[in-house]
Amino acid sequence: MIELELALPLASFELRVAARLEDGVTAVMGPSGSGKTSLLEAVAGLRRGARGRLALDGRVLLDSAAGVGLPPEARQIGYVPQDAGLFPHLTAHDNVRFGARADAAAVASAVATLEIGGLLERHPASLSGGEKQRVALARALATRPRLLLLDEPLAALDVGLRERILPYLLRVRDEWKTPVLYVTHNVGEALALSSRVLLLRAGRVEALGAPFDLLATPGMASASETGVENLFGGRVRTHDLEGGVTIVDVPARQSLTVPLAPARAPGSEVTVAVRAEDVIVARRAPEGLSARNLFEVRIAAIARAGADVTLRCSPATGRGFARPRGRPDRLPRGEEPFVPAPLRRSSERRC
Amino acid sequence: MLAALALARYRGRGKGVLETLLSLPLVLPPTAVGLVLLDALGRRSPLGGFLARRGLEVVFTWKAVVLAMAVMSFPLLVRSARTAFEEVDPRLVGLARTLGCGPVAAFRRVTLPLAWRGLLAGVVLAFSRALGEFGATVMIAGNIPGRTQTLALAIFHDNQLGHDDRALALAGVTALLAFAALWTAEWFTRRRARRLVA
Repeated sequence: MIELELALPLASFELRVAARLEDGVTAVMGPSGSGKTSLLEAVAGLRRGARGRLALDGRVLLDSAAGVGLPPEARQIGYVPQDAGLFPHLTAHDNVRFGARADAAAVASAVATLEIGGLLERHPASLSGGEKQRVALARALATRPRLLLLDEPLAALDVGLRERILPYLLRVRDEWKTPVLYVTHNVGEALALSSRVLLLRAGRVEALGAPFDLLATPGMASASETGVENLFGGRVRTHDLEGGVTIVDVPARQSLTVPLAPARAPGSEVTVAVRAEDVIVARRAPEGLSARNLFEVRIAAIARAGADVTLRCSPATGRGFARPRGRPDRLPRGEEPFVPAPLRRSSERRC
Repeated sequence: MLAALALARYRGRGKGVLETLLSLPLVLPPTAVGLVLLDALGRRSPLGGFLARRGLEVVFTWKAVVLAMAVMSFPLLVRSARTAFEEVDPRLVGLARTLGCGPVAAFRRVTLPLAWRGLLAGVVLAFSRALGEFGATVMIAGNIPGRTQTLALAIFHDNQLGHDDRALALAGVTALLAFAALWTAEWFTRRRARRLVA
């Protein structure tokens, strides 16, 4: 249990975060410059200006009213910055055992969890981005932290590498049972790892809730690099290797056809995410359309903001959002009973 | 080194003035600095008199040589040490703290090893300056053979007396010393660089 009540003056606004976070992984999301990294640094004790209260499992780390403020070395919080922050003058092994509390057993099991046994004699300069992240994670874990702070650990990696590092993060979550604050812009990572999402905007908590509920709201579009309003929970039915697609069964006996995702075994649960911008709308059942996925929906509400028209729809699978590009004059103006909404392109994401 | 660290991390008021003051001996003619030191430490000055009463004679002794060299080379040492410290990413120091190191341990295990090359360069630079130091030394320590005569002074002295061969030999010794110092520094630096890139 993390009790947060922090205030920290930043260049353009004041960071003010009050939240109680249960154990497990909390994804910290929000637009760039909303204070995510500053929040992590304040929790780690690296920001002297931080005021307020911070307690971890009842242990008070900061209580400025009572004059308590533990230095970072006494907080037992592991921190992995975006660029891994390895000590360049030390080998990977010396990095992992750098911590004052890093005993041999903890070092060995951190090395095993992250499978970096083969990298230990190398210096950071010769490690790839993904290897650096794994070494940095091991270095933090080896101190047996009570809380782990991860600042976009996958952001600097290309998509293929992210897919390979994610399992290590899942292992850290499941085997070490260390609570984690996980800064990310990526909805897929948040869905895959976190039990809740803390959404920051201009230094304030905008929302705190279950990832699935929170990430499927239109406001999140600006909060993540891949604004995703439509999330469909489903199960992989089959892979069509020749056609390069994967078929995902979603509730109400419907299915979605998405780009091939062979890493997900048939039967495994996945979440399909579709941006509202990627949806087009037809007022009659279309013919000869190249779109793969067609849903019949009912328009529940229409919101116009400048050139953007957002439609809230009620498809059979639950709510959905569309922000179609193209000709606004062809969009429905009021409630219309019959609107098929083909999904022009859908992006598959893990769950 | 403490001064350099303070300059690298301190961000408050008066930093500019302090920096300029520390660098002043670099720009002033060495004889001017020597004169100031001489007046400050001479027996008739308050400070010099105070030291003399306690049996510490500075002016025209080997201590004056050391002092002159220190004052003249200090700015070079501080400047390069400061750059060396500033080049160490403060986030790495913060990370060391989160890993359980106190401020002193973080300095010893992260800042120092990473700034090491720059510090060495500063020491070599300061040493070279000290080796060539003439003006301030001659003002405050005089040129007393066997007591306060440095290599640089001796070369001048011998030349003035017409012993050009001896002056030349001394110049050779100076060159050897300088070469040895620079070469050692270079060797350390290279070995270090290889380890960081390997």
